[in-house]
Amino acid sequence: MELSADTVLELFLHSLSLWWVIVPAIVVGIIMGAIPGFAAHNTIIILLPLTLMVPVEVALTFMVALYCATHLGGGIPAILMNIPGTGGAAATTLDGHEMAKQGKAQQALVLAFAASTLGGLITSIVTLFALPVLSLVGYYVHSVEMVVIMLFGLTLIAVIAAEDTVKGLIAGFFGLMLGAMGADHVYAAPRGTFGLLELFDGVPLIPALIGLFAISEAFVMIEQETIVSSKGQDRAQRASWADTFEGLRIAAANWWHIVWTSFIGLLVGVLPGAGASIGAFVAYQQSRFFSKEPEKYGTGYAKGVLAPEAANNGVTSGTLVPLLAIGIPGGSTAAVMMIVLQFHGVPFGPRLFVESPLLAFGVIMSMVVAYIFMILTILPMARYLAKVTVIPTRLLAPMIVAFTLVGAFVPRSFVFDLGVAVAFGVIGYIARKTGYHVAAILIGVILGPLVEQSYIRALRISLGDPLVLFSSTLGNVLWVMLVLSLAMPYILNWLRRRKAAQAAS
Amino acid sequence: MQDFTITPTRRSFLRGSAAVAGAGILSASPFRKTWAAAFPERNIQILIPTGEGGGADRDARMFSTVWRKYLNTNFEYSYYPGAAGQVGYEFYAAKSEPDCYNLLFGNLGPEIIMQAMQKPKAKLGKDFIYFCQTTDETMCVFVGKNSKIKTIEQLVDEAKKRVVTVATSRLPHPASIGVLALGEATGAKFQLVPFGGGNPSAMAAITGEVDCCTLPITNAIQLDKEVLILTVFSKKNVFGEMADNAPPVNDVFGTKIPELSSSRGFAIHVKAIETYPDRFKTIEESVKKAALDPEYADLVEKAGMPRSFVRYGGREETVAFAEEMLALAEKYGSLLAAKKK
Repeated sequence: MELSADTVLELFLHSLSLWWVIVPAIVVGIIMGAIPGFAAHNTIIILLPLTLMVPVEVALTFMVALYCATHLGGGIPAILMNIPGTGGAAATTLDGHEMAKQGKAQQALVLAFAASTLGGLITSIVTLFALPVLSLVGYYVHSVEMVVIMLFGLTLIAVIAAEDTVKGLIAGFFGLMLGAMGADHVYAAPRGTFGLLELFDGVPLIPALIGLFAISEAFVMIEQETIVSSKGQDRAQRASWADTFEGLRIAAANWWHIVWTSFIGLLVGVLPGAGASIGAFVAYQQSRFFSKEPEKYGTGYAKGVLAPEAANNGVTSGTLVPLLAIGIPGGSTAAVMMIVLQFHGVPFGPRLFVESPLLAFGVIMSMVVAYIFMILTILPMARYLAKVTVIPTRLLAPMIVAFTLVGAFVPRSFVFDLGVAVAFGVIGYIARKTGYHVAAILIGVILGPLVEQSYIRALRISLGDPLVLFSSTLGNVLWVMLVLSLAMPYILNWLRRRKAAQAAS
Repeated sequence: MQDFTITPTRRSFLRGSAAVAGAGILSASPFRKTWAAAFPERNIQILIPTGEGGGADRDARMFSTVWRKYLNTNFEYSYYPGAAGQVGYEFYAAKSEPDCYNLLFGNLGPEIIMQAMQKPKAKLGKDFIYFCQTTDETMCVFVGKNSKIKTIEQLVDEAKKRVVTVATSRLPHPASIGVLALGEATGAKFQLVPFGGGNPSAMAAITGEVDCCTLPITNAIQLDKEVLILTVFSKKNVFGEMADNAPPVNDVFGTKIPELSSSRGFAIHVKAIETYPDRFKTIEESVKKAALDPEYADLVEKAGMPRSFVRYGGREETVAFAEEMLALAEKYGSLLAAKKK
């Protein structure tokens, strides 16, 4: 089907007419995204019976809007309280929360909202027109390439470790060790589970995330009056529209940064099995790599908020590509959407474009419209949300613990997961007090098992030859980029010192 | 106008209080089930030992849409993937109440093979039994549309020259057994690569990461022109053109590979059947009505699957299927475990 200007306009107006579904979905999505433990797919599953009763286009529009809003919502507690609402917002804590501590929570939120909505909007529009091309990405990325892409995410540990190499690497290694627990990926033999059924599926990610970030943060929080440091108190108290506009100005000035990091998210999203966490980690790492001021990352730097937030919303459009183009869902949310399509008798994959082209393009157009609504809905809220940072921690901390423990329990309904959250809370607290970075531990827990799965597959395909990792052209290009990413900061530093020494002499 | 106001007296107050107290005691007593309203009084919980959005989730939801008419209740779902389904089964047996309100909907083929391979604490027949099957589908081997291999003979010839890689959802799976049995019978060398689910396995074949893929046939039929089905592990290819008229494996090679299929169906705690026979009878009868209701077959067809995919089997048939599958797992277990017994 030709995507003419008339068709695009028709699709846009039709999606716009579904505002009555989009707006509630955005509200629900933002709230669910902001609560750690509630992700898009489990929210959609809860509401699935409802979506099966309405026309398929309404159901898909609702789910798409909710999905996009969840990724935006995940950044809110990441910035305000150092607690990522979703795994995709974990990288946002690095600079977002630093800004909040300096009294710039409102500005950080505006940056996150702008990056999320613009990143999502741009990638949705690109997906709308470039779907056939994007669907080819999946054809070239196999287990070998996935290993390198995930290693890109893992190198964020090295970035975090830049402040203290030994501690950073220890934290990352500890995370990898925890991530190796669970049944192995070939014979399902349990490893390091201590015979506990609850650990057969590996360390549960949501309770680990909640413990490392939320509970440990609550422990740290009660040692001070408010989240915001004493220096930033004045600024935090007088949160006004000026800060919102300042955030928008910074975002506009960095529009290109938003564009290319959202593209990283889009490409990672296209790969089945990858997701928002990998997209955000890779985007943050690459953002720092290409920056002229890498030393500013982690100190409350605007680009450190823009990159992961643009990327995790870029992932949302990418995830739908394999579903729409081939008929294979790119992630758990897309898998649930597939059920709705099947239930309504809508063929998916290439047949979708032949038999129901307006529905296929309409899904992506509803994403565009959802992001437009999101800009209008969320921006005015930044100044009110920012006030959270001045709430006394004696009130905030118990609420965080209570809410997040519910979030830890929800995904699997194991009481055991509450214990995991508390245990990780203690680990996180000790890490924070001793100068180890909790984000480095989390990266290991998230990415370690994924790297292992892809590596084992690659090894089995090559009949055990480890050189398979260097057997593909695309894989080798990615390897070179990876090595350069790690080496360039040192080379650039060396060149700068040499230049300075020459100038001095 | 008649006056309906009641003047409370000491006697009426005592009588009313006694009635309320009596009702309360009865509702909490062991005799409650005698007095209880017709089963079910609340939603039925369905545990799925695979992830959300997969084939089992889709089938369970389609089935319950029709079942709702006969059981007069709603259904709630929970998902416990992990360790080839072991997590779900263990959780079902140990943590959910054996009261007929908790059912399990799973893949009879792979998950029964898991019983034989991984020896979970939750034992089939002792802790839970499958009491019905709703669908049944054969296993097949397919390649991506761009593959040079166009027939099963070509695939086996290739596998005699070099090791051919085969994507599979997981090692304990009837499809994996089929490929290994084919290799054993023909001297072809196959390397199974578990991708942890039907979708990623199919993707690996479509993109050419592996030479071919083995899965239940619905996956391949739904991928339509993206894949070419080479063979089926059944006596006859009942799907015809939908399944690319792929020949049955034994017809091509004269082998005696058993029919390999995977059914989906419901399991229940053995204890629940013993404790609440009336409830179980209601479940069993209503399941049968729903499975035989043409509306269910219509839903299946609407979702892009062949109607012949629907195949109701009662308790006896399902138990027999499970036993066959266990025997098959014992026979081919050493191949799946990559070590000789």
